Amino acid sequence: MTAALTVCGLTHRYGAVNAVDGISFEIAAGEVFGLLGPNGAGKTTTLESILGLVRPDAGRIAVEGDADPARMRAKIGAVLQATGLPDKITPREALTVFGAFYPAPLDPQILLGRFGLVEKADAAFDTLSGGQKQRLALALAFVGNPRLLLLDEPTTGLDPQMRREVQDRIAAVREEGRAVLLATHDMAEAERLCDRIAVIAQGRVLATGAPRDLIAASGAATLEEMILAQTARA
Amino acid sequence: MSALATLTALSLKLNFRNRMAILYGYLFPLVFLLAFWALYRNDPVPLALHIGQLLTITVLGGACFGLPTTIVAERERGVWRRYRLLPARSWVFITSVLAARLVLLVTAVLLQLALGFAFGMPWPAHAGALAVGFLFTAFAFMGLGMTIAMLVDNVPAVQALGQCIFLPMLILGGVAVQLESLPLWVQHLSVFFPGRYAVEVLQRSFTGAGLGGSGFDLLALALIGLAGAIAAAGMFRWDRSFSPNKAWLAVAFGMWLVVGAAAELRGQVTVVGLADAQPVGTPRDYAPAAKAVTADWHAITEADFDTIAFDRLPADQGIVAPVSRSDAVPDPAIVPLLDRIRDGLPNWAPGNVADPIQRARNLLAVAAVPDILEMEQVERFVPRLVFARLQTVIPPQDLPKILYWIAMHPDAGDDGAIHQLGVLGLPDVSGATRPVHARIMVYAFKLLGRLTGRIPPV
Repeated sequence: MTAALTVCGLTHRYGAVNAVDGISFEIAAGEVFGLLGPNGAGKTTTLESILGLVRPDAGRIAVEGDADPARMRAKIGAVLQATGLPDKITPREALTVFGAFYPAPLDPQILLGRFGLVEKADAAFDTLSGGQKQRLALALAFVGNPRLLLLDEPTTGLDPQMRREVQDRIAAVREEGRAVLLATHDMAEAERLCDRIAVIAQGRVLATGAPRDLIAASGAATLEEMILAQTARA
Repeated sequence: MSALATLTALSLKLNFRNRMAILYGYLFPLVFLLAFWALYRNDPVPLALHIGQLLTITVLGGACFGLPTTIVAERERGVWRRYRLLPARSWVFITSVLAARLVLLVTAVLLQLALGFAFGMPWPAHAGALAVGFLFTAFAFMGLGMTIAMLVDNVPAVQALGQCIFLPMLILGGVAVQLESLPLWVQHLSVFFPGRYAVEVLQRSFTGAGLGGSGFDLLALALIGLAGAIAAAGMFRWDRSFSPNKAWLAVAFGMWLVVGAAAELRGQVTVVGLADAQPVGTPRDYAPAAKAVTADWHAITEADFDTIAFDRLPADQGIVAPVSRSDAVPDPAIVPLLDRIRDGLPNWAPGNVADPIQRARNLLAVAAVPDILEMEQVERFVPRLVFARLQTVIPPQDLPKILYWIAMHPDAGDDGAIHQLGVLGLPDVSGATRPVHARIMVYAFKLLGRLTGRIPPV
């Protein structure tokens, strides 16, 4: 069966620094795969390479076996850090305009309801709170009805209730047979959602497996302890 | 609606929600127009001789400030990074930004023209040529704007770099200050700025021979725009964290040098000042010894003609009331316009009115208006068409008397014909008409001199 996402030998250098150094992994359909590691480990660069925001120096990336960048992006929904929207755009407009780029977009009204934005549907982006902006970013990730979700710390800035709702939504995505690549610092979130994780540091994969298996194999008591031990050795 | 159209519509909508964009995009051009109107309010025809400068400033501001400010501000905030995640090629986003900017420029220019018309500015002589000139100007400056947008990292840097280009072009490039007011060395310098070509194309479309004679200017604008587009494509970046390869700037600004050098090689870089554009004066300046003219033109005699000092009239080769030599050949570019005037005169209603005085005045206005508007070569060839027509529609024994009467009464009669020149392919002058009267007077004297043998034929 073709993997939802294949990353093979991905390498990206910033000058003399290897931000990503030969990372490889696969994600199956219906799987939530976590990328965990300290700041600067290479998580965001990996996601940006998959999305075509940075050009890898080496390696191969394919979504459902297709390596064409534009076709890959049509199958991916993403929430990245350091992205924004025009100040005066409204959530409804953003969902409508972004949806126009996909062959079968979801109804903006449904997404507004699903992400708690109905009351702010026609408010300017620069009047939204941090949490509302993050919910809109999530809604935009779903607007193209994607086969693969790339989420870089998607619950940052959300209140506990909305964080739980987003996590439930990610779990539901898995039930629908879609794949999720989740970069997070939230260990509880990773343990709750991820079928497998990759621990990365200094651009390399240190360990891959189900969270419970990795904890058991390392002899650590928690996922956090396991990661601290792994990255300290690297 | 396609993604491109949707994104373009969104860009426009967002622009209209931005007060600063409205201020810079629409209010400033109108303020510039008011400033020009105040500065040149004593011109014979309001604004017409400066509209090339005004429109160039509008396009320059929108393309070199508005366009890069929008792009850089959005890129700073990660908007372009977010757009990049969408499944579309880069050209879709670039095209939407440029299409939206073009719409903004078109509407700003139309608004500016509308206010100009309200002040009495005449309609453009060649509206189609004006549209073509505008598109080439917009292309050249949007290429420059894209280059700036890709080069700099933040909005203050756009303002700083924009001013570094904008101000020299305004002051030294023949945009805000007319070429003839600049020293010769600055006129040579001006050919290395694209603004000069834009002003010349737009002005020629408005009060000149249209696109005829604008081939080099259009080529210059196209090459400068193309070089800017290539440089911008070479430096294109979605994210400010990537550094552009600044070597591409050599392509964009190198083309300014190439075009300037080509202009120098062609010659015709400098413009002679309007030293001989002295006030035309009054009938008494040309006929100081003339007795009071009776109301009845039939009573005018040869003795009255003897009172005229024809040698005081402006030279036919000068700028005021020029007349071409009989053997002069017009530039092929203006031949269609001259043909249109010659073919149109027999059916031009004001040229066939019953009153022979008014008929002659109306026909003389056809020569006077291109002169007032300084319509380059056109102004010196039209008088011969008018003289020929006058000799056709006024009996030969009456024409000298009528011309004398008109010359001695330049402010008498009806000015309605001046507003009906559009059918002849000339601008309709809707503003002050006294200067036109003075030119009618001079042309009446000049034809009178020819008819009576007091001015030798040339």
